[in-house]
This record gives sequence, structure tokens and C-alpha cells, in this order.
Amino acid sequence: MQRLYAIIWLTWKAAFRFRLIWVISVLLAMAVVLLPLVIKHDGTARGFTQILLTYTLSSITALLGISTLWLACGTLARDIEESQIQLVAVKPIPRWQIWFGKWLGLITLNMMMLGISGACVYGLLIYRSAKLPEKEQQILRNEVLVARSSMREQIPDFKADVERILNERLKTLTLTPDEVRDLRKQIEEQVKAAQQIVPKDYRREWVIDAKKALKAVELGRPIYLRIKFYVAQPTIGATYLCLWRIGSDTSKQVIELEQRLANETFHEFPVPPDVIGSDGKLVINFVNRNQTAVLFPLDEGLEVLYYEGGFLMNFVRALLIILFWLVLLAAIGLAASSFLSFPVAAFATMSVMIFFFSSDIMRSSVEENTVFGRDHETNKQINPVMDSIMLPLFKLTVKVVDLAQAYSPVDYLSSGRTISWFELLSAFGQVVVLLGGVASAIGITAFYRRELAIAGST
Amino acid sequence: MDKGKKILLICGIILFLLGAWQSQKTVDKERKKIELPNVADLQNAPPMLRFTTIALGGFRGIIANILWIRAYDLQDKDKYFEMVQLADWITKLQPRLKQVWLMQSWNMTYNISIKFTNPEDRWRWVMRGIELLRDDALRYCPDEPLIYRELAWFYQHKIGQILDDAHQYYKKFWFDEMNRVLGGKGDGYIDLVNPQTQEQKTRAEILKNKYKMEPSIMKEIDERFGPLEWRLPEATAIYWGYVGLKKAKDEDRIVLRRIIYQSMQIAFQRGRIIFSKADEVPLYGPNLDIVPKVNEAYETMMAEEKEKIDTVKRAHRNFLRQAVFQLYTHARIKEAKKWFDYLKEKYPDDVQVKGAGGDLDTFAIKRVTEAINENDMNMIKSFIQGFLQYSYLYLAYDDEQRANGYFLLAKKLWDSYQSRFVPGQKVERIALPPFEELNKAVLTDVLDPQNGFEPQLRAVLRTKLNLPPEPQNK
Repeated sequence: MQRLYAIIWLTWKAAFRFRLIWVISVLLAMAVVLLPLVIKHDGTARGFTQILLTYTLSSITALLGISTLWLACGTLARDIEESQIQLVAVKPIPRWQIWFGKWLGLITLNMMMLGISGACVYGLLIYRSAKLPEKEQQILRNEVLVARSSMREQIPDFKADVERILNERLKTLTLTPDEVRDLRKQIEEQVKAAQQIVPKDYRREWVIDAKKALKAVELGRPIYLRIKFYVAQPTIGATYLCLWRIGSDTSKQVIELEQRLANETFHEFPVPPDVIGSDGKLVINFVNRNQTAVLFPLDEGLEVLYYEGGFLMNFVRALLIILFWLVLLAAIGLAASSFLSFPVAAFATMSVMIFFFSSDIMRSSVEENTVFGRDHETNKQINPVMDSIMLPLFKLTVKVVDLAQAYSPVDYLSSGRTISWFELLSAFGQVVVLLGGVASAIGITAFYRRELAIAGST
Repeated sequence: MDKGKKILLICGIILFLLGAWQSQKTVDKERKKIELPNVADLQNAPPMLRFTTIALGGFRGIIANILWIRAYDLQDKDKYFEMVQLADWITKLQPRLKQVWLMQSWNMTYNISIKFTNPEDRWRWVMRGIELLRDDALRYCPDEPLIYRELAWFYQHKIGQILDDAHQYYKKFWFDEMNRVLGGKGDGYIDLVNPQTQEQKTRAEILKNKYKMEPSIMKEIDERFGPLEWRLPEATAIYWGYVGLKKAKDEDRIVLRRIIYQSMQIAFQRGRIIFSKADEVPLYGPNLDIVPKVNEAYETMMAEEKEKIDTVKRAHRNFLRQAVFQLYTHARIKEAKKWFDYLKEKYPDDVQVKGAGGDLDTFAIKRVTEAINENDMNMIKSFIQGFLQYSYLYLAYDDEQRANGYFLLAKKLWDSYQSRFVPGQKVERIALPPFEELNKAVLTDVLDPQNGFEPQLRAVLRTKLNLPPEPQNK
């Protein structure tokens, strides 16, 4: 253990020697202090808090991410190039411990920097929000500076119905695999539509298992309905009548709301928690009295948000997810510098990062099942040979990136959503153990096999 | 490195520099050809912006693209809190590209604003779009006619028209703002041309610095197109169209002229405030005093716009029909007759004139029948106001039967229009004000010593309606 500590300490010293720590500290201080002074927001306290959280945390992540990669590449590659590693390697310490020690050194360094800057952001938020009028503070406490979880109606499994209808159709049709895929999608949408559409003068009922929200009921915290709907014949700038009846025979209270809401956007409004029935069920009814049909998508049409905890713990969990990313970046940087020179390792890791950040383009290619596009008339792939090579590569990349990007701590915080302990644990598993593990295995193997004594001559 | 190698490299550098210099000339020529703005032309920019635009060079485009993508991604997810900042960065990175300003402001004013339900929230985004053009875009592109046109359009269409559910709120808010700065008068700018008191000086400063409007130009516009009610959005639309027109080149003038004439048409239809009360949307009526000016504007446009002369002629003919009818229903028969004769002379083949056999009364009655089936709220409101005005006029003339007839007609028209809305249908946007409110406003109007009926008629009316005598001016 002492050997590991020694390597960790050497890594810290190297970080201070590079003066990177000081530069990053100044940049972080600027991100925390100057950003709130210069950013423009939508004019509401809620908007300001959201943008403050988003921009300060994103800047911190970006700054620490770049510096981690730089430091990870520098600390090992330079030691090898300048032959300092030879002094360490001849000591009674296995090579994996040298590598692992450097990784831990970078992790602890990041923990410190992230902890300090995170504390500054938190302090700033609390300080600024305390200066707001009580009404605004209330909004922030209920909607942004809070950890809310969500509940939705159980989405019915349409697969059996879709397959049944599809098989019936296929009895009379001869289709190519692509056409079958399109037809399946079409049938799926038709089956879904029956659940999603509320025709004129009709009613739609949601029954949500809301037992999880009973804590909010005990605390007297409001629950929030988050809704989004579409209309069949939209008029630009119009709003639509929404008649709600929330509660059931088993709830202490039943409320009726009449609202005019805009379509194609999210709306959040509070309802008293005792609309939840004694059986833990929350019954919500919507009546469509508009001149057009209304559609509530199954995935995001109606969601119930409830208080689950305070902001501080959520904030800490968000910082931990950011730390997991930094841990992964440190492993990637060290892995690259285990077999490349400093400039090449830095360039290669930055390029890999840019490649990964372009995953959205790859994702859309994977969704469309082609990289080079399709012929509009025949719907056939323009370049099937290249597609067959590129698509598996894209699919793999998207899967790997999704493992790391599945969590959006900044998004969650700015919308007052809970990052659960389970999510934190799975983020740790996916980002640190799995991806970080693979990177460190590659790095340690490369470092183990590297001839350190000749590296300096290059 | 040996000497020979160094010389070779230096030669290479010189060669590449010469090549770059040569290709730069071609690039500059191409820029001019396709009218791409030059960063060096950037005027009025703060030092930070000038530094950024020069320091980032070609990378500005890449950064701007990334910001655009982020803005669209966020918009797709209904997250708007970053939009103001992103729009600010995007426009600052490409300050000389007019399309960037136009798209960002349109996005805020039209696309984002409608995503909100509360009129306050909608208004904030409408204003963000207007401010982006008025306060920033015009600072960097002061000679760009399309920016003036767009700004005028936002006032005329987004605030002035009735397409947005929150249009009444916009109008009320704008009215209140201008009412404050114009000292509670529709032509309050007159006091601000040469402000005398401290209070006037403060208001003039607000008008110039916040709303970027010059009282002297407002005066010029009023003389040419007015009298306009400057607390209404269409007057501001005319202002920006007019300012843009002054700066536009010949080929760009057409779009600005159109926006001015369209706004004048609206000002004619409902460009007069009849009645305003705190916390309520003011009641508007047609501004019949500007009929000659609107007509003149159309004639100028016909003379200037040779290519689409038929379209303008059609619009002019429609305007004349409307003017005749409005004057007729507002008991201004003499003027109605004059403009009807003008319509006959100018458009002798007009179907409606022919259908009425050239007779004014028949023409007006036919228009009423058509209008009752129309869905234009402003038109119906103006008819009701006109009928009520007639009702009071005949009452003052002691013809109670006729007065009652017109009153009933007004009420029936109101009932008929309101009954078109089925329960549950959104009506606030296109609904009429309560009938009592309309009636009260018309009465106030006809009893107004400045613009109302003649003194004798006012006195008779007051007696008939058991109202106290008119207060005497001291």
C-alpha cells in the first residue's frame, strides 16, 4: 500500500510541477464566479438557476475532462520519455502498481478539484436563491432545487398484438425484410394510437401506481403533473382546453381543473398530494372538449413527479457521476500514454473524444440502417458494401458511448430530477468498472510489455 | 538542420505565402460576388466582439454551427432556458449575417413564444425576439432592410393581428408601455420633439434609448401617413418600415413599402382607441380620419410597384369598398359619398358597385348582408360600433324608432357573432368585448367634446339619456 501511496504522491507532485493545477484552479474559479455574471437567461429565476447549474457544471466537467486527459497522457508518457520512470521501475514495485498508482493519483486529484468547485457552485446557488422573493424561492424549492422522481402509467405490451396483425397481413403479401420492418412499425403506431388518441368529446383515464409518492403525501409536498400533448389540427399560437379530474373514490380529495394549454410542449402543474387514493392509486381523467382530437404520447404524454429528497444529496450524486467520467478519461489517457509518446497520446485521446462526441450522427445512421443513404424511389441502400462494413462499427461505437453517456447529471439537476442510488451504482458499474476496467487492462498490459529503457532515446 | 535544408524550407514558406495571397484575392472577389459580409466592416461592435470575430477567424463558423445544433436539440426537448444565451452567442459569432439575426429572432418570437401557456411568458419571448433585432441586429447591420422589415412585421403581425391566443395581452402591454412613454396621448411624441420639462426629457430619453424611436421621425411619419395612434403596434410597424425605407437601396424598397401599406390598412381598420381603462384591453375602432392618407399611400404604391400592379389595384379597390362602407356605417355620409364616387370613377367595372347599380345605400346594405356572414372580428366590431353611433345620432335627431332599430341591429349582430362559438371552443382570442362595454365606449365617443357629435346634438342626447350636462371648459 505504501508503494501505491508513493506513486499517488508522485502524480500529485507532477500535477503541481506542470502548474496545471494552478491554471485549472483559475479557470474553475472563473467558471464559477464569472459565468453567472455574463450569462443571459430567459428572465425568470427558474431559468437563471437552470442555466447557472448547466453552465457552471458543464464548464467544470469540460475543464477537468481536458486537464485529466492532458495530465494522464503527460504524467506517464513524459516519465517514460525523460527516463524518470526507470528510477521508479527499478524499485521493488510491480508495473501494474505504478500504472494503478498514477490512475489513483489522478482520481484523488480530480476528487479534490471537483469537490471544491462543486461546493462553490452549491454555495453560490443557495446564496443567490436566498436573495430571491419568497414566491420565486418556493418555485425553486419545488421545481429545481429538489430531487423529484417520476411515475408513469404502465405501458401495455403491444408486441403480441402487433405480431398477430403483421402475420395476418403477411399471409396475403410478399415483402422484403426492409418492407416487413416498415410494416411492423406502421402497425405498431396504429395499435399505439388507440391508446394515445383522445377523440373530440371523449375521455382518457390514467391509473398510476403511486405508492412511491406516499412519502410526499406525508410531508405535504405537492406532486406535479408533467404533460405533453399533440392535436390533430394544430393552429399556430393557439391553446387548447384541458379538463382534468384528478383523484378517485378512495382519495381524500378530488380536484377538477380547467386549463388552456399550448400543444407540443411540456407543462408542469402542482396538485395536492392527497389526490392519491388510500390504495396507492392515482387516477387522472382528461376530457377533450376541443374541436380536434388530442394525442398524449405513451412515453411522455403524462408523468407524475413527486418529491423524493433534498437537492444536496442529488447534487452530490451528480458530482459523483461526473467523477466517474473523469476516472474513465484518466484511464483512457494513461492507457494511450502506456504505448504512445506524449504528443501522440494527447492527440489520439482528444481525437477519440471528438469521435465519441459525434455519436449522434452515428446513432442516426444506425436508426436509418444506412450510412450512405437510400435511393428515394427504390428505398434501397446506395452503397450496401460500405454500409455492411460501417454499420457494425457504428453500432458498436454507439453501444460503448451509450454505456458512458446514459447518465446526464447536469440535465437531471437542472430539471430537479432525482439521480437514484441505483443509477449511481449502475453508472459506477458501467463507466468505472466496465469501461474504465477495459481501458486500464489495455493500459497495464501495454505498460507491462513496454521496453522502458529504450524509450528515452526516441 | 543544415543550411541547405533551411533555405529550402524558407523558400517553401515564401511560396506558400504567395499562394495564399493569390488565393485570398480570388476568395475576396467571390465574397463580393455572392455578397458575403466582410468582418472588417463590423461597425459599432464592442471591443470583445471585434476581438472574438478576428481572433477566431474561420473557426467562428464551426463554433456557431455547434451552438445552432445545441439550440435545436434543446428546442426539440422543450428546454428554452438557454435559448437567449445561445442566440446571443450565435448572432455575435456571425454578426454581419442578416439571416442569423432573422432566424434567431423569428424563432423566439414565433416558435418559442407559442410553447408557453401564460401570456406573460409568451410576451417575454416575443419581446426577446424584438429586442434582438431592435437593440442588437440594427446596431451591427444598420443598413439591412430585411431586418427593418422583420421588426415591423413582428409589431404588425405578432402583436397587431389576432392569430395568437395571447394577442390581447400583447396589445395591452404594448399600449401600457407606449402610454407611459407618450404621456397618455396617442400623439404624445409631439411634446418629446423639443422636450421642455424634466419629465418630458426623461420620457424622450426612454423613447430614444429603450424603444430606439426618434420623436422627430414619428412626427415626419404622422405628417405623411397619419394621424396615427402611436400607442398601437401598427404605428410602430410603420415607423420601422419607414426608417428602413430611408436606408434601403432601390431593389429592397418594395418589401418595406408593403409593410407600411399593410400597417396603414390595419391602422385604418382599427387604429383608433375609443376607450381605455386600467387592467383592461383598450377598445379600438376604425381610424376613419386617415382614409385620404391610406388612399394616397395606395396610389403611390401603384405608381412605384409596376410589376405587381394588379395585386395593388385589387387591394386598393378593396380598401375603397371598405372605406365607403365604414364611413357610411359611422354616419359620415358625406365622406362616404365622396369616396363612393371615387370608387366608381377609379373602378367603374367593380362588381359590387355595378351590383348596387351605382347607388351608395344599396351598396352599403349589400355589404352589411355580406359582413354578417363574415368571421372577421374587427369588421363585425366596427359594424356594431357604427350601428350604435347611428342609433345615438337618430336619438339626438329625435327619431327614436330609427334609433331603436339601429340599437337592436347592433345587438343582434353581436348576438349572432357570439353564438357562432360552441361551448368549449376557445373564444377569448376572437370574441367581441361585452355588448355593454361596446355601447358605453361609443356613447363616450359621441359625447366627446373634441371628436364627438356637434354641441347641440350632444346636449339633446344628454337630455334624452338623463345624463348630467356637459362640464364647461374653464
